[in-house]
Amino acid sequence: MMPSIAQLAMATGFILILIGFYGALTQRNLLRMIVAFTLSGTGVNIVIVAIGYMHGRTAPILDATVNAADAVSRVIDPVPQALVLTAIVIGLGVTALMLAYALKLHEQRRSLDIAKFTELKW
Amino acid sequence: MVSPLYLIVLALAAAFLLGLLNPERRGRAYAVTLVALAGMTLISADWLWAFTMEGIDPVDVYTAGAEPPFAINLRMGLAEAALTLLVNLTGLLSALYLKDVLLAGGRRTMAVLLISVMALVGIILTRDLFNLFVFFELVVISSAGLVLLANDKDGGPASGLSLSAGFKYLIVSQFISAFLLLGIIFAYHATGTLNIDGMANASLGLATGGTIAFFLMFMAIVAELKPFPANGWALDIYESAHPAFSAIFSAATGAAALYAVDKLLLIGGAEWLPIATGIGIVTFIAANLFALPQTHDRRLLGYSSIAQTGLVLVVLGQRDLLGDSTPFIAFGLLISHAVAKAGLFWLSGLLKNRQLADWAALRQRPLLVFAFVTFTAMLTGLPPFPGFYAKWELVHQLAGAGQFTLLGLILLGALIEAGYLFRWFGYLMKREAPVETVPCTGHKVGPVLVAVAAGWALAYLWGDLAGGLFGRDNLLLALPLLFALSFLLLDWLPAWIKNSLAIAGMVAFFLLTWGEYDPLRLIFAIIFLIGGALTLLASYSVHGRRIGFYPAAMLMYAGMVMLIRATTSFDFFAAWELLTVGSYFLILRGKHSEPHALSYILFSLGGAFLILAGFALAAAGAPQFDLASLAQVAAPAAPWVFVLLAVGFMTKTAAIGLHIWLPGAHAEAETDVSPMVSGILLKAGLYGMMVLLLAMGKQQLYGVELTHVLLWIAALTALIGNLMAVFQEDAKRLLAYSSIGQMGYALFGLALMNHLGWLMALVFVINHYIYKSMLFLAVGGVAKRTGTREMYKMGGLIRLMPLSFIAVLIGIIAVSGVPPLSGFGGRWVFYNAIMSAEYRLPMVVLFMAGPIAFLYLFRLIYTIFLGQLKDELRRVKEAPFWIVLPQMIYVALLLVFAVVPGLALRHVDAYLNQFFPEGGLHWGGGTIISDYGYWNPVAIMIIVGVIFTTVFALLLIVNRKAQMVKQFNIVFSAERPFRPETTHYAWNFYAPYRKAMGFLTQPFVTRFWDTLADLLHTAGDLGRRLYDGNGQSYGFHFLAFVVIVFFVGGI
Repeated sequence: MMPSIAQLAMATGFILILIGFYGALTQRNLLRMIVAFTLSGTGVNIVIVAIGYMHGRTAPILDATVNAADAVSRVIDPVPQALVLTAIVIGLGVTALMLAYALKLHEQRRSLDIAKFTELKW
Repeated sequence: MVSPLYLIVLALAAAFLLGLLNPERRGRAYAVTLVALAGMTLISADWLWAFTMEGIDPVDVYTAGAEPPFAINLRMGLAEAALTLLVNLTGLLSALYLKDVLLAGGRRTMAVLLISVMALVGIILTRDLFNLFVFFELVVISSAGLVLLANDKDGGPASGLSLSAGFKYLIVSQFISAFLLLGIIFAYHATGTLNIDGMANASLGLATGGTIAFFLMFMAIVAELKPFPANGWALDIYESAHPAFSAIFSAATGAAALYAVDKLLLIGGAEWLPIATGIGIVTFIAANLFALPQTHDRRLLGYSSIAQTGLVLVVLGQRDLLGDSTPFIAFGLLISHAVAKAGLFWLSGLLKNRQLADWAALRQRPLLVFAFVTFTAMLTGLPPFPGFYAKWELVHQLAGAGQFTLLGLILLGALIEAGYLFRWFGYLMKREAPVETVPCTGHKVGPVLVAVAAGWALAYLWGDLAGGLFGRDNLLLALPLLFALSFLLLDWLPAWIKNSLAIAGMVAFFLLTWGEYDPLRLIFAIIFLIGGALTLLASYSVHGRRIGFYPAAMLMYAGMVMLIRATTSFDFFAAWELLTVGSYFLILRGKHSEPHALSYILFSLGGAFLILAGFALAAAGAPQFDLASLAQVAAPAAPWVFVLLAVGFMTKTAAIGLHIWLPGAHAEAETDVSPMVSGILLKAGLYGMMVLLLAMGKQQLYGVELTHVLLWIAALTALIGNLMAVFQEDAKRLLAYSSIGQMGYALFGLALMNHLGWLMALVFVINHYIYKSMLFLAVGGVAKRTGTREMYKMGGLIRLMPLSFIAVLIGIIAVSGVPPLSGFGGRWVFYNAIMSAEYRLPMVVLFMAGPIAFLYLFRLIYTIFLGQLKDELRRVKEAPFWIVLPQMIYVALLLVFAVVPGLALRHVDAYLNQFFPEGGLHWGGGTIISDYGYWNPVAIMIIVGVIFTTVFALLLIVNRKAQMVKQFNIVFSAERPFRPETTHYAWNFYAPYRKAMGFLTQPFVTRFWDTLADLLHTAGDLGRRLYDGNGQSYGFHFLAFVVIVFFVGGI
């Protein structure tokens, strides 16, 4: 049996998350870590969208083709899509903040190696 | 009532308004920020008022014109009102505190602060999962911004450090938010709703994948509580961030995250409670252990914050068991932690240096020291603060449900925490202060003082709540406690006025209440109140203001009075803690008493925890019980209750094994404090033993008679205590060890559990008070004049200090128990008592201890007052009048008590008849008759007097031609010895005896406790190395935490 598109998307999402986590834990370069987190963030977003997907339905936009009356039976679940939008925005904010941090850290220490920033410990 | 939505609207509007302002008009921006935060605080306070005073119902606020699950709803209830008030107030005060930083940082910084507070409020109010996620992310972003407020100028280590801490935080929060999002979306998939209450109703756990979904969410939210081991990032933030932000991070963020967990547990249901408990208790223990080897103040506070949050998580995890009292306990612990921790972080910002010992600079400002004391007491759960009631209730409920392991772990962790906090306070009071002035600017000191005021207000509030719970008056309103606390306000007065007030107050209280005591308690009341007033006469010798002395001393006396007046277990325990704390502050006042005061408070708190556990076990689920009903405790629990309480009380009487705090504490205390903590304070432990033994009598554990064990402990205590006293060079230490021995005698008498044994114990109680107070004053006076406590440096002082000599002479005659003084009365009763008891062997041991007492007493009088006068001491004067006066009163008392012992004893004898009808004494005229013989004090006095005069006259005649030995008759082979004191006759006075019995005085016990402390330290030091400072390790810790919980929790 062929996997459905939702299953494929779900699998892709989880693989991305794992790749992202793996990268974040193994790459010592701050920028690479940030990229890895972006990957895992994308993975999470794909999973969210895949959850809301329903086979054979259309996008949850009410227009000429889909009217309000029969929307319930014709569109996919709109909630995950709304969530994903928010998640993307927040992800953008956090990524931007991390990049700013990386910039400042580099300015201060001329290094992007996470293992160099361990004065605070124990 | 303003809609709770305005809490969020106000912050957002103010943040946007800041964007519209002229960036150069910083003062205006700052005003907008403060007004917004103050407005939010007022809204929360208004709601809290409505919920508590008007009793309105929780209110739901719907957004977007639809009801859940179609839109997000917020809820405002009692818990939400209290928590948002906490968050907003912390935010407002921190904003005040940050005045300079915010003005320098400009409107953007202020906007971030506003958003941070708003997001925390949002976490508390929202009932929607995804909304919860959004607010959490806002907290992450704003926190990562506020972390950077630290700068060199403001006492922060360097902004560079906070930069790396912030990045580590972002790394971990990325992992957390991925988990949270995945969890939320799968939970939504399983239940079709994002509403927390809707999801709780839909029983998520039963749906396919529901458990995993919940697990992911739960792990993510719990991670915000900084659980062990996923908390290295938080510690780095605490260490490097601006203290005002740390205050928010600890108090407000912690509270909000805990409430989020609480909401989440609604969805998860009962099966997740044990997991929450497990995470909480492991975090509590680990964080406290790792805090032990800390020397950095803010990192230490960070560890402590993590530990306290863990403890509240334990409470949330036990809510099935705790039932209706969960909010009382959880809020009691949380609010104590929040107020104290915020206060301490603010305090830390006033100091430049970051080592714990640098806090000694705070001594410049007594008010701030008081603030520190308040916060420490709140954190360690001392009365009258909310944590105390919470701890009491928690322990009782856990014991009632048989959760002994958890109970033990909680008490262990609490003891470790008390250990490092009180060690810190010791540094603060005793270490050399660094050269810096503690700034006293209003906007920085103000928040600290508000926290102090809040602490005391909460103490009053929780006292009221507990009053409702236990059906009693507010503890804070107990007259003796109020009297003691009033000295805090009077501390600006000169010492002599306060001393007079204290004496008057104690005597007046005795006169008011003396009719209420039975004869047994009356003896203790007389010793505590009248005896206490008498020792206070010596305090007139101290001039100046003597800041901090009177509140501490009066707190101790208040505790003791409340102890004998207590009829319920709760009152008794509260009084016990009060007297412990008061005496700790008193002992700490000695010049070199820092380590001794610490070991005193640790043994005492350890003992207090055992007492608490014992009471809880005896209460069997009830919130408290009448002390008299200890007798009704049934079989399996009863011997354990006995053991717990007995060991607890024996920490105060310094029984062997638990005695190591006493010598240092009593010897290093100030001259007039030594008699208080020796002559009077030790009696509190004996009183506890009496209450216990009267109620519970003989108990057997695994077939062992526990009173028999007590006999052995008492006999060994007497023997070792006396033996140790013999080998001391320091006169006050000698007296201190002698107290250990004397307490052994008294304990022995009690453990005999017969009429005469008890009578003997009471004779010891009275005698020991009189002669030990007298001796400590006499020796203290000598030490004051000679500038040393080493006996071999004294000698020949008889002519210079005749009154002190008389006091010591009378004292040692009384202690040694030879006729004619009252000590003999004690011995006489004692010999009668052991004749009628069946335990011979411990009796022999105790008997041996008697002659040993002679050795040290002889040494005391001989080496101080007889022999050659040292050259440098030729100008020594008699001790100050106010130190001699009480001694002379004691001399008179001893003589009176020797001639007419019946004055006090016959009433007690009659009273004891109801408990031990057998073997009482017969009091006829001047004689006292027992089953074995009779004692006529007056006749003995006369006979001894005649013999003494005769022998003295004979000696005078025989020694007429004796030659006075001049000082330089003995020369050390014409050489100056390497250590001159070794040639002094008074040095190592009893060397031969040391050869014979010295092996018994090896410091085995000290070594045992030292090793234990070392082990804990080493464990903490090894454990904390887990946090290696690498952001990736912290990320890995989080994942490891998730995996461990998954497998250990059996999800």
